[in-house]
Amino acid sequence: MHLSRREFIKSGIAASTASLVGLPISKLAEAAAAELEKNWQWDKAVCRFCGTGCGILVATQDGRIVATKGDPAAPVNKGLNCIKGYFNGKILYGKDRLTQPLLRMKDGKFDKKGQFTPVTWEQAFDEMERQFRKAYAEKGPSGVAMFGSGQWTIHEGYAMNKLFKAGFRSNNLDPNARNCMASAVTAFYSVFGTDEPAGNYDDIEHTDTMVLWGANMAEMHPILWSRITDRKLGHKDCRIVNLTTFRNMSSDIADLEIIFKPNTDLAIQNYIAREIIARNAVNKAFVDKHCVFATGPYDIGYGMRPTDKYAFAAEKDTQAKELKVKLDKYEAIGQRRQAGEVVEQKNTADPAKHWMISFDDFKKGVDPYTLDFVAELAKGDPDESPDSFKAKLKQLADLYIDPNRKVVSFWTMGFNQHQRGTWVNEQCYMNHLLLGKQSMPGNGAFSLTGQPSACGTAREVGTFSHRLPADRLIPNPTHRAETEKYWNIPAKTINPKIGSFYAKILRDLEDGSVKWAWVQVNNPWHTHPNANHWIKAAREQDNFIVVSEAYPGISAKVADLILPSAMIFEKWGGYGNAERRTQQWRQQVPPPGQARADIWQTMEFAKRFKIKEFWGEQKLPGLKLEGYQDNTLPSVLTEAQAMGYSPEDSLYKALFATPTNLKVKWPDAVAKGHDNHVVKLLGDGWFPEKALWQEYQQFGKGKGKDLADFDVYHQDNVRGLRWPVVNGKETLWRFNEQYDPNVTKGAGIEFYGKLFKAVPTGNLDGITDPTPKSLAGKAKIFFRPYAAPAEQPDDNYNLWLSTGRVLEHWHSGTMTRRVPELHRAVPAAVMWMHPADAGARGLKRNDLVWVESRRGKVKVRVETGGRNTMTKGMVFVPFFDEGVFINRVTLDTTCPISKESDYKKCAVKVYKA
Amino acid sequence: MNISGIAVTTKPEWVEEVARSLSGIDGVEVSQADVASGKLVVIQEAASVGAEVEGFKRIRALPHVIAVDLVQHYFEEDNELIHAIPDELNALEGISVPAELQD
Repeated sequence: MHLSRREFIKSGIAASTASLVGLPISKLAEAAAAELEKNWQWDKAVCRFCGTGCGILVATQDGRIVATKGDPAAPVNKGLNCIKGYFNGKILYGKDRLTQPLLRMKDGKFDKKGQFTPVTWEQAFDEMERQFRKAYAEKGPSGVAMFGSGQWTIHEGYAMNKLFKAGFRSNNLDPNARNCMASAVTAFYSVFGTDEPAGNYDDIEHTDTMVLWGANMAEMHPILWSRITDRKLGHKDCRIVNLTTFRNMSSDIADLEIIFKPNTDLAIQNYIAREIIARNAVNKAFVDKHCVFATGPYDIGYGMRPTDKYAFAAEKDTQAKELKVKLDKYEAIGQRRQAGEVVEQKNTADPAKHWMISFDDFKKGVDPYTLDFVAELAKGDPDESPDSFKAKLKQLADLYIDPNRKVVSFWTMGFNQHQRGTWVNEQCYMNHLLLGKQSMPGNGAFSLTGQPSACGTAREVGTFSHRLPADRLIPNPTHRAETEKYWNIPAKTINPKIGSFYAKILRDLEDGSVKWAWVQVNNPWHTHPNANHWIKAAREQDNFIVVSEAYPGISAKVADLILPSAMIFEKWGGYGNAERRTQQWRQQVPPPGQARADIWQTMEFAKRFKIKEFWGEQKLPGLKLEGYQDNTLPSVLTEAQAMGYSPEDSLYKALFATPTNLKVKWPDAVAKGHDNHVVKLLGDGWFPEKALWQEYQQFGKGKGKDLADFDVYHQDNVRGLRWPVVNGKETLWRFNEQYDPNVTKGAGIEFYGKLFKAVPTGNLDGITDPTPKSLAGKAKIFFRPYAAPAEQPDDNYNLWLSTGRVLEHWHSGTMTRRVPELHRAVPAAVMWMHPADAGARGLKRNDLVWVESRRGKVKVRVETGGRNTMTKGMVFVPFFDEGVFINRVTLDTTCPISKESDYKKCAVKVYKA
Repeated sequence: MNISGIAVTTKPEWVEEVARSLSGIDGVEVSQADVASGKLVVIQEAASVGAEVEGFKRIRALPHVIAVDLVQHYFEEDNELIHAIPDELNALEGISVPAELQD
């Protein structure tokens, strides 16, 4: 039989696909598959996109990627990829790929109002250096800042963390992960004393109940969703619950769908806790042995600025809630106070403080959350009957409480991007801990992530303004000292003052307290809410903004200097996914044109500075700490000289090309013929990704965060390892003696995290005994009340707006009948709306409307059908869409504890454009 | 030339109907269908990645389709450049600029 080349390729691909799903393949097809791939070089790698961390295989031929496929040996995805898999090989080859540095210039020199002009790397760094020195001289370490990323490779994040914190002595480095999972982190800290989930994805195959809290996994985590649907179809007792504010695709196979009002997840979880107690279902043995009860202040504000000086006139009433909140009926009941009471927000400065309480106090706290109260407050769909909603809540409690059921709760942005994000995370652990369903196969509260290395880089490396590697914190003097030891830098080099978090850096640019900022692997001006403020700050204030990018996004557009970056398979790297799995890959192809890896940019910039410029005395306004002169970072130069440094040493030499690191030579057998463009550009013969990995590895050893050796991750038979990796073995369930070597022998379960493990004692109203008492080895079960959203629909702005990542053209009637176009047209973004809400405004499907808040407005088309069935009173606009810049409209409130923005709720009006 | 191998999952009772609907989509061929496991092997050919993504979405939107997973994606001899960056990519990296910001 003669096959055309096209047919031949198709048979080969069909054979690979069939063999992966376990269907028989013909000999002919098998031969076609082998022939097709004979000139390709396959290597393992990791998907560039979400936090699932799928393994992929990349085929290269003549320096170009020719094919990608799901890695059959990868335990995460077992050979499958979602729709984003298409882009892994293609993202490198976009038409508008940035391949040379671009500087705003006029008359041959830098001008903030100038046009982007191609320059050499040398010219780019010259201007960047000049502007850096100017800002640093004027403002000191707090006048410069870095927007980092959960898409940084581990090595890149580590290098920049070190340059800022050890080199520049500035803690103004914060990742976009702040807006993604910071609330998960603060809850891991407060409940367990250590970051990241206890369980792993195998929980899906071990459990029989999965509860989705504001996580549309069908669209956002499709590969995990495939595993969930497989479990559901193959296990008849498996139940899936989808809790959401509007119907989405995850409801398709859910047994129970609960539509609730924004923020009332706080009340629903307290209802479950109340039921657990009322039904005498508390796992007393577990709770007594492994848990204590705790609470904290309620008057913690909403993470906005404390002043309205920078607010637009229309947003001042919302901003005022930062200072005073008038309790509504439901908050009053839920917080045991009087409706209408005006509560001054006294704990905005220390919202995370908490104390132990008794079980009786805890019980008193959840007591108001009866079925009747919670149903009245939380029912999201006005068309649903109260009885139907109550029956669903009861069914949800039944599923959690049933002693014969294992339960996994999943969440991502619904909980994390929440004005009480830390609380709502803590509440999820509350119910799992009360029932003793935690840290066991198939039982546990499981926080998912949105970015490929939110865990691996942002969290584990600690690229936050308050963190250092491996669960260490800036304010903790022991943690700073340990870090200084591993970095071999003088004591007191590290700035003890927490830096600006992500939103604060943007606010600092607006009010002029930060004058120089660098962005790598993220897009703050597109993705941060209330964007009109930040765009104005970037373009109209006296500051200098550098954006390292692969494509010209909004942030690049508002920048003063654009640096062209190498993309994922153009460099060596590593990511850590949501189940603690660390995976690494090799450079597959060279970067195009002048594009270069971010890690090279970081180290090359470091070559331009000497240690004496930073390690001498520095001004630090606001520093007041024992052992430090007020407002001053001490000089550490004398000690540095004693350690063998010369004041003339460059930061590159002191921090990166250290004598130890220079010993890690390139070439290295681990490369197996693959190149490394960073090594070539640096030109001094060391292998930075490997050397920095070895340095970084020290931080987690023996601390419950152990990582394996660099080469191990590159072995052919390894598809990532879940830390802690102890004696070459990964850890499947943390805190569980059967799986986790860090648990004391005989303890069974031990929550051994070390942070916040000595706290005062008190009752629901406050601290009664300030002496910190140890709760070593135990987790905290928090009581957290319902709190109303800072901004709610009123007569003028009369609809809820929620935003997220849903693909807007996933399922509309017209799309499904459309003929494929040769080049995909840019689709018009849509705003989903309930048909009745549209009708009430004289609108119909496809009408062009304005959606307007106190902060800004955008034009968008109305969609009344489709896969997202909106609840009455709520509209949804995807916020990453290129046509509709919805972040001009959204509200920049945050969880006051985690400082993560809430993208899920603000008030808008909609009218015909 | 963009060719991809896609695994489609449905319930066993719907395999035949899903196979029929799949065959009705331009550029899509059902290579194998297994009633017992509810799995279908689908080959999709499209002129561009954008068109391929649209095809993927159409498959996902078919009645009775439970899961659609991409297994292999091939683009040898493909000199196509992505002219309009698809939203899926934009959603992850935010790489486009709204017209209103061009000024």
